[in-house]
Amino acid sequence: MSIVGKTATSGKFRRNRWLLTGVLSLYFLYTFMPLFYVITAATKSNPDLFSTFGLWFAPDFNLWDNLHTLFTIQDGIFLKWMGNTAYYSSISAAGAALFSTFAGYAFAKYSFFGKKLMFALVLGAVMIPQTALVIPMFLMLSKLGLTNTAFAVIAPSLVFPPGVFLMRAYIDDAISNELIEAGRMDGAGEVHIFSAIAFRLLMPGFTTVLILAFVANWNNYFLPLVMLNKPDMFPITVGLAQMYSTAISGTGGVLLFTVVMTGALVSIVPVIAAFLIMQRFWQGGLGAGGVKA
Amino acid sequence: MAVIELKNVRKAFGAVEVIGCVNLTIPDGAFVIFVGPSGSGKSTLLRLVAGLEDASAGQILIDGADVTQMGPAERQLSMVFQSYALYPTKTVRQNMSFGLEVARLPKDEIEARVDRVADILKLGDYLDRKPRALSGGQRQRVAIGRAIVREPVAFLFDEPLSNLDAALRVEMRVEIAKLHQRLGATMIYVTHDQVEAMTLADQIVVLDKGAIQQVGTPMELYQRPANLFVAQFIGSPKMNILAVQPDGAAVAFADGTRADFGAQVAQNLSHIGFRPEEVQLLDEGEGQLQGTVEVVERLGSDTFAYVALGALGTVTIRMPGNVLNIAPGQRVGLGLTLPQLHLFASDGTRLS
Repeated sequence: MSIVGKTATSGKFRRNRWLLTGVLSLYFLYTFMPLFYVITAATKSNPDLFSTFGLWFAPDFNLWDNLHTLFTIQDGIFLKWMGNTAYYSSISAAGAALFSTFAGYAFAKYSFFGKKLMFALVLGAVMIPQTALVIPMFLMLSKLGLTNTAFAVIAPSLVFPPGVFLMRAYIDDAISNELIEAGRMDGAGEVHIFSAIAFRLLMPGFTTVLILAFVANWNNYFLPLVMLNKPDMFPITVGLAQMYSTAISGTGGVLLFTVVMTGALVSIVPVIAAFLIMQRFWQGGLGAGGVKA
Repeated sequence: MAVIELKNVRKAFGAVEVIGCVNLTIPDGAFVIFVGPSGSGKSTLLRLVAGLEDASAGQILIDGADVTQMGPAERQLSMVFQSYALYPTKTVRQNMSFGLEVARLPKDEIEARVDRVADILKLGDYLDRKPRALSGGQRQRVAIGRAIVREPVAFLFDEPLSNLDAALRVEMRVEIAKLHQRLGATMIYVTHDQVEAMTLADQIVVLDKGAIQQVGTPMELYQRPANLFVAQFIGSPKMNILAVQPDGAAVAFADGTRADFGAQVAQNLSHIGFRPEEVQLLDEGEGQLQGTVEVVERLGSDTFAYVALGALGTVTIRMPGNVLNIAPGQRVGLGLTLPQLHLFASDGTRLS
């Protein structure tokens, strides 16, 4: 007897699958096209950038020259910016992931006064873009005389409400209460239980938040733009934007268009590398065998 | 070695009282089992003893010392959890030594203790494995091992066998009994399985709705249940209970049948109970009750007959051996004698 209804090969499913593939293909094009444009543009000379078709390579392959210009222009300031970006975003991401994990653990595993309200505040904070808070934060930090420091870029980034939200949901599932209780019976304190038992089991969640926070901070533009005004403290985003505005203002910066495109391409590489490196922590089943589900 | 006392212990979660005024003394070296249906408060009571829950009122004493305000570790108890609760990222050895490391015992002593316990529990070959590489029974043994190495004053078990399959459960049950004989330590064990309770316990504490229904040895509970709840909870198959009314010197069943047991019964009698083996299967017309055999189960060692008594419901009868002269559809009589009957008053408590 044949099975009717929604089996894997039913006509309806096939139609849906084509539709799904179609929609995803469009989305792929939408996201990939700008990236592809950056890739092709980074290989062109400045005249070619404007005279050849944007989505394909020019006959003249100019990537090495562009890279050379990028890293030597203004005494190699791009390298400095890259270092700044790496510094700001790695410290911010590590801190944000750590604080998110602490907060998520507390929300998931402890009951305390005001927990519901506090979590509602975290959820509310998820909805507020950081951009909206940058100006008040600038005013606050400038009163304290802390603008134009790494602290001004890093400290606000340590607060990462989506991370708290993610970690709470993750910890709810990943750590059974009995595991914590077993630790208590063994005489371990709460910090010891967290560090010696729970944290290892949270690695997949922790890494996820770490990457999300890292990418968010790597690409952050508005916060450093407002907080910093010394070019040698800029991250890549602000630096390149400044180069770009020099380029469009036409004050002897025509050459800079290809440099900006090459800089954009180079700035993506570490993010991709971070994803690839962190991927191995994304394995499930770390907690397998500890507690019977 | 410890005497554990609970004095007027109460526990409420918000407005819901889950344990209402429990008084209990657990003697040194006893194997005490808390048994009851789910929601009876047995696990909560164990967690109160463990210190994993705070009592809302009352006192918990271990060897006379008030531990009510102390944390789990200070009470020097060990607990085996239903889900094993092994540390998944640690090896068997690390699992067992964790508590000792926390207590900052010297390294060589930790090693010696773990080796000794691994030997008792036959875990020697698995010491370097992670929990996920172990079978259910081995994991439970590690959990027990982790409890033993700490040399606690008493052991707490929270349904330790309910995640194991039937065969393994019997095997582990025997191992736990042997362990108790060997260590002689006080053990409190929670289960909803009355067979585990009957076979392991020195003393059974039957709980229902957060209150102790009866405390006694397995045989006391079986032979003289204090109330209808205990009567029906202890024993498998469970006790047959029939509603009755006193009628002069006789009793009247709900369907109007009268039975004369040749003695006066109490005027507040409302139920009689009899164990499946405490009733005699007779020919039709004999005995106090008449019915029809519905189903016969032959287990080899025993024969069970389920007899329908019309409006009174169905009763279970157990006969030793393989009884051949009985078949479904057969009309039979049931013979009851007063000394073997359990009589219960209208409030459910035992009469006489």
